[in-house]
Amino acid sequence: MGGTGTTTLNLKLKVWRQNNPQAEGHFEDYDVEGISTDASFLEMLDVVNNRLVKEGKDPIAFDHDCREGICGSCSMTINGNPHGPQRGTTTCQLHMRKFKTGDSITVEPFRAKAFPVIKDLAVNRSAFDKIIASGGYVSVNAGNAPDANARPVPKDVAANAFMAAACIGCGACVAACTNSSAMLFVGAKVSHLGLLPQGDPERERRVLNMMQTMEDAGFGNCSNTGACSLACPKEISFERIANLNSEFLRATVKNRNTSGSVG
Amino acid sequence: MKYLMSTIGRKQLMAVTGLLWSGFVLSHMAGNFLMFVGAEAYNKYSYFLVSNPLIYLAEAALVLTILVHAVSGIRLAIQNRNARPQKYSMTPSGDKAPRFQSRWMAFHGSLILVFLVYHLITFKFGTYYSVTYDGVEMRDIHRLLIEVFQSPAYVVGYIFCVIAVGFHLSHGFYSSFATLGLYHPRYSAMLNKFGYFYGFIVAGGFISQPLYVFFVAGK
Amino acid sequence: MSMKLDSKIPGGELEDKWSKYKFDMKLVNPANKRKHTVIVVGTGLAGASASATMAELGYKVKTFCIHESPRRAHSIAAQGGINAAKNYQNDGDSVYRLFYDTVKGGDFRAREANVYRLAEISPNIIDQCVAQGVPFAREYGGTLTNRSFGGAQVSRTFYARGQTGQQLLIGAYQSMMRQVELKQVELHTRREMVELVVIDGQARGIVVRNLVTGELESHAADAVILATGGYGNVFYFSTNAKLSNVTASWRAHKKGAAFGNPCFTQIHPTCIPYSGDHQSKLTLMSESLRNDGRCWVPKKKGDTRPPEQIPDAERDYYLERVYPSFGNLAPRDIASRQAKYRVDEGLGVGPSKVAVYLDFRDSIQRVGKKGIEEKYDNLFDMYAKITGEDPYKSPMRIYPAVHYTMGGLWVDYNLMSTIPGLHVLGEANFSDHGANRLGASALMQGLADGYFVIPYTIGNYIAGQKIPAIDANHDAFKAAKASAQERIDKLLKVKGSQTVDDFHRKLGNIMWEQVGMARNKPGLEGAIRDIGTLRDQFWNDVRVSGENNNLNPELEKAARVADFLELGELMARDALARDESCGGHFREEFQTADNEALRDDKNFCHVAAWEYTGEAAATGKKNWQRHTEALTFDRVQLATRSYK
Repeated sequence: MGGTGTTTLNLKLKVWRQNNPQAEGHFEDYDVEGISTDASFLEMLDVVNNRLVKEGKDPIAFDHDCREGICGSCSMTINGNPHGPQRGTTTCQLHMRKFKTGDSITVEPFRAKAFPVIKDLAVNRSAFDKIIASGGYVSVNAGNAPDANARPVPKDVAANAFMAAACIGCGACVAACTNSSAMLFVGAKVSHLGLLPQGDPERERRVLNMMQTMEDAGFGNCSNTGACSLACPKEISFERIANLNSEFLRATVKNRNTSGSVG
Repeated sequence: MKYLMSTIGRKQLMAVTGLLWSGFVLSHMAGNFLMFVGAEAYNKYSYFLVSNPLIYLAEAALVLTILVHAVSGIRLAIQNRNARPQKYSMTPSGDKAPRFQSRWMAFHGSLILVFLVYHLITFKFGTYYSVTYDGVEMRDIHRLLIEVFQSPAYVVGYIFCVIAVGFHLSHGFYSSFATLGLYHPRYSAMLNKFGYFYGFIVAGGFISQPLYVFFVAGK
Repeated sequence: MSMKLDSKIPGGELEDKWSKYKFDMKLVNPANKRKHTVIVVGTGLAGASASATMAELGYKVKTFCIHESPRRAHSIAAQGGINAAKNYQNDGDSVYRLFYDTVKGGDFRAREANVYRLAEISPNIIDQCVAQGVPFAREYGGTLTNRSFGGAQVSRTFYARGQTGQQLLIGAYQSMMRQVELKQVELHTRREMVELVVIDGQARGIVVRNLVTGELESHAADAVILATGGYGNVFYFSTNAKLSNVTASWRAHKKGAAFGNPCFTQIHPTCIPYSGDHQSKLTLMSESLRNDGRCWVPKKKGDTRPPEQIPDAERDYYLERVYPSFGNLAPRDIASRQAKYRVDEGLGVGPSKVAVYLDFRDSIQRVGKKGIEEKYDNLFDMYAKITGEDPYKSPMRIYPAVHYTMGGLWVDYNLMSTIPGLHVLGEANFSDHGANRLGASALMQGLADGYFVIPYTIGNYIAGQKIPAIDANHDAFKAAKASAQERIDKLLKVKGSQTVDDFHRKLGNIMWEQVGMARNKPGLEGAIRDIGTLRDQFWNDVRVSGENNNLNPELEKAARVADFLELGELMARDALARDESCGGHFREEFQTADNEALRDDKNFCHVAAWEYTGEAAATGKKNWQRHTEALTFDRVQLATRSYK
């Protein structure tokens, strides 16, 4: 039930279409009329797609699921901004009241070598899963855990870890970064687990392995522009990257393995 | 070593070398202010520097660090370019736009490198005039300075490059601390402002010198 | 056909059943575990935790999800919290009390033994999650804190702001990814299960569609586990994610797995109301908000004043009025129905008049804006983004929406369906919540099933029978692939005039009107007829654009809606057959004088398990047979549920 509800918009869309990973992509123009300002950006695309289907054309493919800003599926770049112009917002929670009638909107996929396009606006972000698999966890088997209150964790430490753990793995940080770096994503996980006593035993191993995997996946490096944090729908602090840098240095110094690699 | 091959390792090297050079650039600028005092003070300061046997060590360190800084920077920039083969048609704007200068570090960095080489050719390896004060013969670098800054084109080019240095420092200074892992929400905001201030001072200091020569001392 | 429903509940006292089961069960030697492959479909809380835990034990696990990453599963959207009988608050909680609250909350339509096991396991879940690094909310002293949820008078809900599901899922996902790295779990993303393969009466594998290439792939295993969530999207408008669907369960159902209590649907009382035709889904506002928010409507019909200007004396805080002891924390089914009554009485608010207020004014006065922010910041933000209004200033407008399905594939105490080898976990099964689920119990059940139940029961199954060696080239896989391909080709061939969403919305409308919050005999009979007609239209007039051989979300949706069109009919049949009201199932013919649900324990104290018996070749009419599993209550006295 929107504040106004009755207002509608007419828009000019320019959308990236690419039939498969190998195909050359191109922009296509669509005129869209009568979009309610209460609709979300994805609901606006639903309207376009419904029309395309009725015309017998291939609708615009994009990833989406929960449409509540938490699953991290939606992944488009709107007028150069990952997830659009509003800070702290995913595309599914971006509402059309942020636009004006007559606006031209360019919609592109998240672009990075490590995020190849699958079709149109849908990209493959499995590189993030690989990074997590290489160390973004606490090695504890089910059934081994001590009582949850056995190790007190100060309230502010838990809250700080939570702020880092709020990352939804959408990849907007990579998309926004001039260098397509995943340092904010890695930094968020390294902070989340490193801050908690439960994550401490694997602290060094985790950061070295995750960084190695990040580099191997073809992400760039950080030049501290802070664009990642501005684009992050969960507003993960840029501080996580600085923390990642110091954790990395610390782990390098502490690493006792003479070959330099970590197990 | 694995650390030096990693991107964070390279960046931390850049941070350390960058901070060293930030210090050097500031002291260089401050020393050059002696030109406002006069030719003799300026030349004597220059002579003091070059006649000190430690100068070779210092010069070697500067060359080495700038090479490390530049080579790492170039390698990282190549890696970064490769990380996005297909460019965007638009860049982040509005509330999500990062600071202008932070996006162009590799660009001003390259400009500064070219400028640096040119700068050394002009001054360090430029025409050797000599002058004698108190019976000691030394290089009259002040005379060369006055000559060089008579050319409007050179002054403009010099100022442009020095502004690039200022931009580079204003982001690089703060950025170095972040890369070394030193970050605190409160202090880093201050450090950020200080980075701007630092860049402004260095650029401003260096700009004042050719302008002074061109409009005042050279007449 | 005769289907035998044997719940296989172990003997002994309620408190000892699970311990006794664990002692008596057959074991698989650690060296032999690696010779056994288990398929897990779905990577939500139940699927991810089951994959991780079975891999830790040494089984070879093959895990499948429809998303591009397993971390996207819809468990991630659960907001409020997870229950556990830790009694950290020293307020009198116990395993028995959690068990009792859950059985009563479910309106006495769940199995005692299953629910007791759930309550017994609940403290271990919290321990496990904390050990994984889940950042639950804490007190200054560093210990865990709790909040209250509906249907309970103790504070036993653990939470991480309004993102508890996310944090728990990330914990399970990370544990699973660790096993992927160790090569114990083979992960297949963007794969949708389109067939269950049953060989000699045992579930032996699945056929999946690769959603990127359209290829059908066969995977064989010693056992199959479905953890594919609920089917609330049959209503089109629900709080479920857009991709949530019934297809995997439905494929299994059509291969012989009985469907338990399909009509038991939970309508959640606090959702952001419907606002217009553009809308694609409804968004939940966590039940935890009812800790601090008060539900009300104006006492006067047609009161158009802004809510802030309506004085307390002219407000009806209806939950506090009708249920003085539970107040705003009445269970979900009851709170939803009361909101519906207010709207039916013409007291609804907002432009559509189909909403009630959830007001935080008093709490903000009591604990300050900061105190409220700390607890619900992300929920308030979400509300503001969706509606464009600031809930710190004026009350939220909310209305009930479909949220969870208590029904699901029928399983025994081992979580095994009526097909040997096919196990079903989490929301996809019917087991623990009876006719109504209490808040913060879904996360508890998903993780209990995955971390602490299936790792034991799967061993008991594998060690307990002969499972002959087969591979994915077996004829049964070829036949399954052919039938799946035929269905896909058929959908693409129709080339009609209406989109998949058009049909889905129509189905949703029938379901909401006739099989929603209030049901009656003529309505249900009409629904069965209308759904049949709609299904025929679908197969004659649906327009599925695009091709099979690349990413085609329209085709995926079409296949899912085709299954919903069959499920919808079964839900209506189940609702029609259950001549009583209980929990979320409210038949208007069966209510007390003050409009509360009227159970019929004499005739309906049972689980209805529906067996699919095929379709009539001439008419396409679907046939089912209804079986029942009697529920016996030894420890809890059957009583009229009262929250007054």
